[in-house]
Amino acid sequence: MSWAIVAVLAAGVWVQRLLGMFVGGRVLSRQPALGRLATLIPAAVVMAVIVQLTVASGRSLELDARAVGMAAAGILVWRRAPFVVVAVAAAVATALVRMI
Amino acid sequence: MADSSAMDATTSTGDHAASGPRWGDLGALCLTFFSLGVTVNVLVLDRVGSESLTIVAAVAINSATTELAYLAVRDAGGTQLAAVIAGWVVASRFGLLAVSLGARLRVGTWHRAAAGLQSFDPNVTWAIQQRQPRDVVRVFWRATAAMHLGWLSGIAVGVFLGNVIGDAQRFGLDAVFPAALLAIIGNLLRRRSGALAAAVGGGLCLLLIPITPAGVPIIASLVGAVVALATMPEETL
Repeated sequence: MSWAIVAVLAAGVWVQRLLGMFVGGRVLSRQPALGRLATLIPAAVVMAVIVQLTVASGRSLELDARAVGMAAAGILVWRRAPFVVVAVAAAVATALVRMI
Repeated sequence: MADSSAMDATTSTGDHAASGPRWGDLGALCLTFFSLGVTVNVLVLDRVGSESLTIVAAVAINSATTELAYLAVRDAGGTQLAAVIAGWVVASRFGLLAVSLGARLRVGTWHRAAAGLQSFDPNVTWAIQQRQPRDVVRVFWRATAAMHLGWLSGIAVGVFLGNVIGDAQRFGLDAVFPAALLAIIGNLLRRRSGALAAAVGGGLCLLLIPITPAGVPIIASLVGAVVALATMPEETL
């Protein structure tokens, strides 16, 4: 991540928020499906990022300690545990499996 | 900052709708964003290697999900373009939150712009539950202040800790990265449409990882959102 990339990422996030605030209401009243799509996109794309981080090693698939950490995180998120508990449990579970 | 639909564990949004969040709610919100700030910035510093860049990125981008998505694609060997696109698309929800807030905000243009740039789940959810326009503004900025207090102090501690810890993998911190993302989208996954979008997006990514260039599986996962929209067009948000 360079300074230029930070600027580009920030600009993309700022533009989306400002568009939502100033023109989003009018657009969504005509195209309500766009609003639903905007909600569903993060679910799909963030899950893909999670898959990538959990089972990919370069371009090959690998099941290792990370998967155990994610399983722990999954159970805790499902049980609505606070964020800090989820984060610590994932780290501890992964570190423990690596020690074995 | 954090895009925290996951924060319902610490921020009960429904109970005190009329009077706004209590001090205990604000404290819990602050603590949640503090822990998010610490974890995310330990991870970002580990990859970026510059304290000043880590801090500026956290404050300027103002979206932990965007930072994490960008770094995930780069980690996997994806191009800058693919990583930037991934970072942008995961922020689409903020635009939608700004729409919800904008519909209830009765203030001037600059005030609207400032509020729009700070649209997150907890502050918008609390604010739009208020009946009086002035309460919408008051509750929004109160919650925003609590979030930023936690996030900014979390950045400081995260950058400090990142320097102390060194190799993030040693403590299983690389697993915190996807776990944090899962917590952030936790609430989306509780809806059938969100779960379907995630299942299709995640499954497609899994299939494509071995056969396409890095970054492509993540961009392709957008299909999951389209499939969920086409399959369940009627489900209300």
